[in-house]
Amino acid sequence: MATKVRVFPLFRAVPRKGVIKADHVVRFDVHQRIQHILMMSSFSLLALTGLPLKFYDNAVSQWWVALWGGVESTRAIHHFFAWVMVFDGVYHLVYLGYSTIILKRPFPVEMIPSPKDFFDLLADLRYYFGLSPERAKYGRFNYREKFDYFAVFWGIFIMAGSGFILMFPVLVSKLVPGWIIPTALVAHSDEAILAVSWIVIVHLFFAHLAPNIFPFNKSIFTGRVPRQRYQHEHPLEYEKMVAADRESRAKEEQDA
Amino acid sequence: MRKLLVVAAFFVLIAVALFLAPATSYGLDQYQCLACHSRPGLSKVNGNGTEISLYVDKKDFLNSSHQYIDCTTCHTGEPHNVPTPLTKLSLAEKCGTCHQYQYEQHLRSIHGEQLAKGNPDVATCVDCHSQTRNPHSVVRVLQTDAPAYPKNIAATCSKCHANEQLMGRYGIVEKVYESYMRSFHGKATQLASNELSQLNKATCVNCHGAHNIKAVADPGSPVAGMDNLAKTCEQCHAGAGVNYAAGFLGHKEATPERFPVVHWAERFFYLLTASVVTMGVVIVAMESGRWLADRRGKKNGGQGRNGHGD
Repeated sequence: MATKVRVFPLFRAVPRKGVIKADHVVRFDVHQRIQHILMMSSFSLLALTGLPLKFYDNAVSQWWVALWGGVESTRAIHHFFAWVMVFDGVYHLVYLGYSTIILKRPFPVEMIPSPKDFFDLLADLRYYFGLSPERAKYGRFNYREKFDYFAVFWGIFIMAGSGFILMFPVLVSKLVPGWIIPTALVAHSDEAILAVSWIVIVHLFFAHLAPNIFPFNKSIFTGRVPRQRYQHEHPLEYEKMVAADRESRAKEEQDA
Repeated sequence: MRKLLVVAAFFVLIAVALFLAPATSYGLDQYQCLACHSRPGLSKVNGNGTEISLYVDKKDFLNSSHQYIDCTTCHTGEPHNVPTPLTKLSLAEKCGTCHQYQYEQHLRSIHGEQLAKGNPDVATCVDCHSQTRNPHSVVRVLQTDAPAYPKNIAATCSKCHANEQLMGRYGIVEKVYESYMRSFHGKATQLASNELSQLNKATCVNCHGAHNIKAVADPGSPVAGMDNLAKTCEQCHAGAGVNYAAGFLGHKEATPERFPVVHWAERFFYLLTASVVTMGVVIVAMESGRWLADRRGKKNGGQGRNGHGD
């Protein structure tokens, strides 16, 4: 008798996102988790190999570059991880396109900024200043998470675009006027500082130092969030998920 | 046994003699010039009435590239009867008696031309090849402490070319040293170790020439005009053309008139970065502040608030 082998498809026909389990909610699918790991590693290595060039007259930079094998070696590593980051961006876009167009899953409108985000910010400001006992109630993505997402979206275009101009300046100068190159340098150099500062100050705080998830929020790696936390952090979406779960259970019982 | 002792004593005596013997200059100072001239403070009053130093720092000299030639190679004839004052030009001429090619190039350079006209402001051999502008301490270019060593040459040129007062006299307003060090060429050279393979980025002399350096406006200069500049870039950047060279800011900042896109991009990104990072700091501060305030509130027996960082 042949045993049935379960094949796990690359994409599930029914989205696993937002599926409620006994003690946790599945928030991120495997693709999103891989995309984050690729982003995290490439960003870190790009920053580590790029910052010494920004702060070149610091003695630590010289030591650091020597550690990585010299200027040419540091540059090669920087270029390698640039390709990794670009691949990650393409992976994400393909994933979005495939999910929505081919698999016909609903387009992730929850990520798109809306007026509610502005009002959430106001409500949070009242909460921060002690004028309100509660913070705003968020949906699937709060305004900080949306900002983070689109900041990275914009950031990748700027960094990859300017980066490739700097990687192939001779080729680029044959297609566009030469002043594109110093412009790309300004964009690349400054946006890098913006991105690194944001990640170190904001992202690391909310992902590592925030008291309720210290030492780090592992849900981006496991894909799962404990139910109670999910209810606190994304109450509006949680209600919808619970209601939908109840409905589908009721339907199952009916069909049974 | 006695014979052995005698032989041993003999060797010991030799060793002591060598150890205790006064340090003399090496064999090539055959006239023992350094016996007097290594005395600090040795000086004379020259024809102009100025006091000039006759002191030669032996330590410096023995580190220099000329330590293996005799004093009389340069100080020919009767060195005690040389008419002074010596000039920068006469010094360059003397270097040229051996370094003929470089001297002739130097004479054709902007520095050499001006030197021949009696201009004392310009650089001559010892200004670039010695830390102390002293012919006795000229070091080889590939020594890591040489002023003309790739990692040091920019700082050496900047001794004059970053002196605003001096450069103002010749209409040279560009902050060449600053702008070079901010460019990839300058940064990579500074970050490089002392391995030759890492020292292949352009320095001042790679683009402007070394001994035959010409003024930027001189059509013979490798950076005069877009065509020359492109050819110079192509020395390392294969295939670079005039468009590529047109992207060079020319040791000057971008302004709204010259490279306006670069200028406004600088402004834009500075503002963007400052405002976004400030916003980020404020958000983190508010979040942390509220959490701290809540904790204090809870400690004081108040009700817990619905506050969670996420």
